Amino acid sequence: MRTARISPARRFFLLHLPMALIVLFAIGPYLWMLITSLKPESTLFSANRSLLPDVVTLENYVRLFSRTGFLRNLGHSLVVASGAVVLGLSVSITAAYSFSRYRFRGRRTLMLTFLLINMFPVVLLIIPLFIIMKHLQLLDTHAGLILAHSTFAIPFATWMMISYFNAVPRSLDEAAQVDGCRPFGAMLRVVLPVTLPGIIATGIYIFITSWNEYLYASVLAGQDVRVLTVAVQTLIGEYEIAWGLLTGGGVVGALPVTLLFMLIQKRLIAGMTQGAVKG
Amino acid sequence: MSAVSLRNVFKSYDSTLVIHGVNLEIHDGEFIVFVGPSGCGKSTLMRMVAGLEDITAGEILIDGQVVNDLPPRDRDIAMVFQDYALYPNKTVFENMAFGLRLRKTPESEIRASVQAAAATLQIEHLFDRLPKALSGGQRQRVAMGRAIVRQPKVFLFDEPLSNLDALLRNQVRAEIKKLHHRLKGTTIYVTHDQVEAMTLADRIVVLRAGVIVQVGTPDEIYHQPRHRFVAGFTGSPPMNFVDASVVSDNGQVMLNLVSDHRLPLPETLSRAVEERVGDEVEFGIRPENLHLANSEPPADWPKLSLKVELIEPMGAENLVHFALCKNSLVGRFGNHVRPAPGTLIDVVLDPTKMHLFDKQSGETLNRF
Repeated sequence: MRTARISPARRFFLLHLPMALIVLFAIGPYLWMLITSLKPESTLFSANRSLLPDVVTLENYVRLFSRTGFLRNLGHSLVVASGAVVLGLSVSITAAYSFSRYRFRGRRTLMLTFLLINMFPVVLLIIPLFIIMKHLQLLDTHAGLILAHSTFAIPFATWMMISYFNAVPRSLDEAAQVDGCRPFGAMLRVVLPVTLPGIIATGIYIFITSWNEYLYASVLAGQDVRVLTVAVQTLIGEYEIAWGLLTGGGVVGALPVTLLFMLIQKRLIAGMTQGAVKG
Repeated sequence: MSAVSLRNVFKSYDSTLVIHGVNLEIHDGEFIVFVGPSGCGKSTLMRMVAGLEDITAGEILIDGQVVNDLPPRDRDIAMVFQDYALYPNKTVFENMAFGLRLRKTPESEIRASVQAAAATLQIEHLFDRLPKALSGGQRQRVAMGRAIVRQPKVFLFDEPLSNLDALLRNQVRAEIKKLHHRLKGTTIYVTHDQVEAMTLADRIVVLRAGVIVQVGTPDEIYHQPRHRFVAGFTGSPPMNFVDASVVSDNGQVMLNLVSDHRLPLPETLSRAVEERVGDEVEFGIRPENLHLANSEPPADWPKLSLKVELIEPMGAENLVHFALCKNSLVGRFGNHVRPAPGTLIDVVLDPTKMHLFDKQSGETLNRF
């Protein structure tokens, strides 16, 4: 094998510089959002504006929480996203476990249907969903929005969970059953703890998609239940855009998701099934 | 009363029949080995005893009770899996205690039982470790510990040694045998390795394509194979087979080997095939039943002049391959026997160890 020594300069131009550019491109809009949210509103459009703020202020955040109902919007978002996680996980875990462990008539067709649902643009479903929700009197309620978000969260989460379950050897379930578990107990006591990183990842996926969802949130709700994405959008007026509030709302909205990721990233990469079988 | 009875057991997947009406009585405390090539249904049969596979037809009884519809947890069995199937998120102690905890055993009793089982297997120092921190041999022991801790009616082993290296395999094999001597639990052990079967079993069940070909002690399986398949499956190297036909020479029944060697038959065999003159048969003899003519064997043993093809030195012994027309014969001799390849030497066959099999059915023609 040839072991070439790469000079530091070459390394910088070939590796570090392109990587820095990619990161800058990805993170740039967020940085701009953060910086803008820390500038006084008055300086945003002044003649001598600069990229970095001359004065750092939290006035946008103070206004956001004191003058608008942003805190309530955050609460709505939290309720809807958490509800979608609970509903989505409980359905997708049990569905995925059956798909992974049992061979039954119509299994393939059902799995394909789950995949197919993901291929339709959500906008196609919005009119039938609206009519259904109207009949069920679920318009503008948390439950309605949780159900609506589950329509796209569950199929994808199920497929995610199927692959996690498939990675767990069947002999583990069988050992648990021989040891004295019922099939459901084997799933609960043995397989679920092993797939915990996968379950967390799936839960976070559902949380994030629900938290960031805009279309359903604005059409199926928006008055009594006004979630974050809809609330931020209302800051864009016909004649004026409240840039300070808008960017402040954006930063606050992105925070929970970012924090979640920082908290669980270690668990996500932990090899939990290591040592279960031969190896 | 038998510990386990299989009565006319069938298993099919969709329309494919994989187990064809198996009947077997396994006695209390017996060590039974299911052996056969891959796909013969041995694992399926054991999984049916465990309750991990449905029974298509027939009955399985454990301790006199029909268990067809009982789930695995109610059959009072323990199983050691090929891949060990240790719970990765539980420590060694918790792995072993899990079955007892599910049965709501008091904590003090759990501690005592796990301690006792671990002492038997010398794994007490591993209690706090997770399975990923164990070596292959240690995992294997923990898996066995998990099985013996509950003192079940029946132990099931599904190819437990196939993931270990050769040295460790011999060691663990001996430990399993010792363990069985001590615990005396009814055991069903599945393997494709005839050496494991021969060394461990009280009785061996040889399976082929979902059918039991022969059930017997290791000695019976080795010395009195009822079928060509059994003869060819056991022994290493396995039995030599040569195509032959039964002929009558001046009223004496003899064998005509393909190479036109005439082979007189011992009295028991010639009486067994005297009705079959003219029939095609298969002649079989094990490598250790070939002897050198100059080693002073009894004078009436039939002799063949054979050309040496190659020698395989095995250390304690040498395997000598002889050419016999299209067939080849392997002989097992002491390590001082080193004829040069290409030379012609005289070999005598032990007439009491000759086997004849029907060419079509493969059934033995010997009368044991």
